[in-house]
Amino acid sequence: MTNKNANAYPKKRFFLEMFTRDISLEDCILDLIDNSIDALIRSRHIDILSDLLNPVSSDESVSSNKQWQTLPTITVSFSDKEFRITDKCGGISPEAAQAEVFNFGHSNDFSGSLGQLGAYGIGLKRAIFKIGNHFDMESTTTTGGFKVSIDVKEWSKKDTKISDWTIPLELTKGVKTLTRAGTSIKIRDLRPEVCMRINDGSVEGILHTKIAQTYALFLERYVRIYLNNQVVQPETMVLGQSEEIQVGKDQFDEKSPEGVVTVILIAGLAARTPKNTWPLSSAGWYVLCNGRVVVAADKTDLTGWGAGLANFHYKYRGFKGFAFFFSENPLLLPWTTTKRGLNRESPVYQRARNRMVGLSKPVVTFLNDMYPSEVSEEIAEREIAEKAVATNINRVAANPSKGFGVVRKKSAPKTTVQIAFQSEKDDVARIKKCVREPSWSAAKVGEYTFEHYLRMECPE
Amino acid sequence: MREPKESWRKVAYDLRPAKQVERRMLLDTMQMLSLAGFHISEYQYTGFGSIYFVDFILFHKLLGIHRLLSVEISEKIEKRVNFNKPFDCVDILIKPIGDVIPTLSPDRKHFLWLDYDTIVNSDNLSDILLATTYLTPESLLLITVDVEPPGEEGDGPRQWRAYFREEAEPYLGSATEVRHYAKDSLPRINIQIIEKAIKKGLTGRSDVEFLPLFNFLYADGHQMLTIGGMIGSKAERRRIEGSRLIETDYIRLDLSKEPFIIKVPNVTRKERLHLDSNMPCSDTWETEEFEIPPDDLAAYSQIYRFFPAYAELLL
Repeated sequence: MTNKNANAYPKKRFFLEMFTRDISLEDCILDLIDNSIDALIRSRHIDILSDLLNPVSSDESVSSNKQWQTLPTITVSFSDKEFRITDKCGGISPEAAQAEVFNFGHSNDFSGSLGQLGAYGIGLKRAIFKIGNHFDMESTTTTGGFKVSIDVKEWSKKDTKISDWTIPLELTKGVKTLTRAGTSIKIRDLRPEVCMRINDGSVEGILHTKIAQTYALFLERYVRIYLNNQVVQPETMVLGQSEEIQVGKDQFDEKSPEGVVTVILIAGLAARTPKNTWPLSSAGWYVLCNGRVVVAADKTDLTGWGAGLANFHYKYRGFKGFAFFFSENPLLLPWTTTKRGLNRESPVYQRARNRMVGLSKPVVTFLNDMYPSEVSEEIAEREIAEKAVATNINRVAANPSKGFGVVRKKSAPKTTVQIAFQSEKDDVARIKKCVREPSWSAAKVGEYTFEHYLRMECPE
Repeated sequence: MREPKESWRKVAYDLRPAKQVERRMLLDTMQMLSLAGFHISEYQYTGFGSIYFVDFILFHKLLGIHRLLSVEISEKIEKRVNFNKPFDCVDILIKPIGDVIPTLSPDRKHFLWLDYDTIVNSDNLSDILLATTYLTPESLLLITVDVEPPGEEGDGPRQWRAYFREEAEPYLGSATEVRHYAKDSLPRINIQIIEKAIKKGLTGRSDVEFLPLFNFLYADGHQMLTIGGMIGSKAERRRIEGSRLIETDYIRLDLSKEPFIIKVPNVTRKERLHLDSNMPCSDTWETEEFEIPPDDLAAYSQIYRFFPAYAELLL
């Protein structure tokens, strides 16, 4: 018997041609923003679990103040010639660049500063390969920096031995202050399909919306993102709340030998728009991993609709839920590598999904009661829903766990009854003439005659 | 959400003998569980008391359970339910049970009886899923459903399969063929569906599993199925296996075994007195005093301890 080894080498062509197919251009760009935010978390020692869900005090909030002007920036710009992302988020150290950043996937013994958003070690490379054929990257930290310039086509030609899988770095000096430290990536010679997408004019709009939604919690307090010179405002996460409405909340930790995942679930009524409606498009569940939105406004069985809950229906457009998953080990979080979907097999997600159903049930009952099959005279639920005021999610995230509920104030029993009847116009006119009140409405005539009879015929 | 079923109109709950035998077997089990170190009297009982509260009265009086919650879906009888509340320690919530289960206290052990009088539907399965999602370790869960064929008179297995596909699609597993839905197979289909819903609720809860105790089939008219057990870890399993429960006829620690059939034979009061005076009896014992089919005698010997005696009272 002879034993031989079969080849099982990685091939550059796979990474260039195949692995870029399963992700959209927009999501590749978000991967690059994830890396910038990771640098920010690392350099500013941000504890996302305790910070992200605390209320933003008014002088901290983004819209108004001077402090916002001093937040670190990420600028993204593109044309059909060039794509560029530049951040002032703290940079990548030359050591990390040499050992880890350009690997395809993290190594087994890599325990260093694993990103909180970049979990898999593929986002940077995939984005570059997806977008263009030439890239220049430059990064500086307070201790040192590096520069890279690569022609991807040339680089991919050499692929016979493992030493072909390296990238030449030019080491540079560090900067003096953290606020100047950051990373810049420039991609040229864009792929023809990327040029086509950019020229069709839709990318910027989609990207703007996605950034506003995906990084809402970060944009509210840590970072400013500019897209083609336009600042991106967060799509704030709000729920409808009032004295009568108790927002539902549930929280648990899933422990395993690899680490802990903290799950926080929040569900309730959506906030009304200025036109006093609930838009269907934003209803459903939002799932966030380490503060980043992974799934938005989901109405499918992924989040329990039609599987434990009823199928999503137009009358549930007032439903809004947020499922937060936090872990220091991002590999424990239930996201897929594109971060645009959930890994349904993840044990923590399966457990959370059942509890998302449990938390949603009373909200769904409330919405069912609001639109009953037989319409009765007054529906208390409608009145309660109308009074709900938009409240930022971080104002309820610290609440104790409790199911969604409504405190119904018992209204005083009604003592009046409505009377409506038809009368001849001539008769109404005769009464008006008789009482010398020609301007009275028919209703006023009715009221007057009723009161007159009451006074004259039925004295107390 | 379905309209509430007005089952309180249908039957006088306390006069169904097989159901009563089932209740008394439950009481018997609870007493054995207490002896095995489960503090049943400290459990919270949550059930559908309707306007009769039969189980509430039994569990409070005979087991000392003093945290009792009755959940009623029909707002139409809110006053009547409150009027008939038998003890001050019974709380009443007028809500769908699915809204209540997630709010059951995580600091207590629970005894939850989802005692439906309908054929299993998607709402029930969602309740079951929530029950095993939320119930604390050592809690007891019972589910009762009607296992008669669904649908209209004249329907057959094809229509029955369509019903279950509509209501229980994710839980049907390998039961795909029409032949799986023959009338005799419906109890088994129901057991499988319920077991799968129980398991689904437990996904991700690595510390506990469902430890079956009951699998009853009985009929006071409609054929009914009750599945029950404990949410527990290996430690609870050992305590159950080390108790007298395992040598009890009606206990089912494995749901793949045949259900225990509660059969209440028709016997007169005089015959009962005679049979009782010979109980417990060996498998071969027969009586020569009157004719009784061997099946009825066997059934009687299994249930005589739990068999209620009814008499007219002039109040």
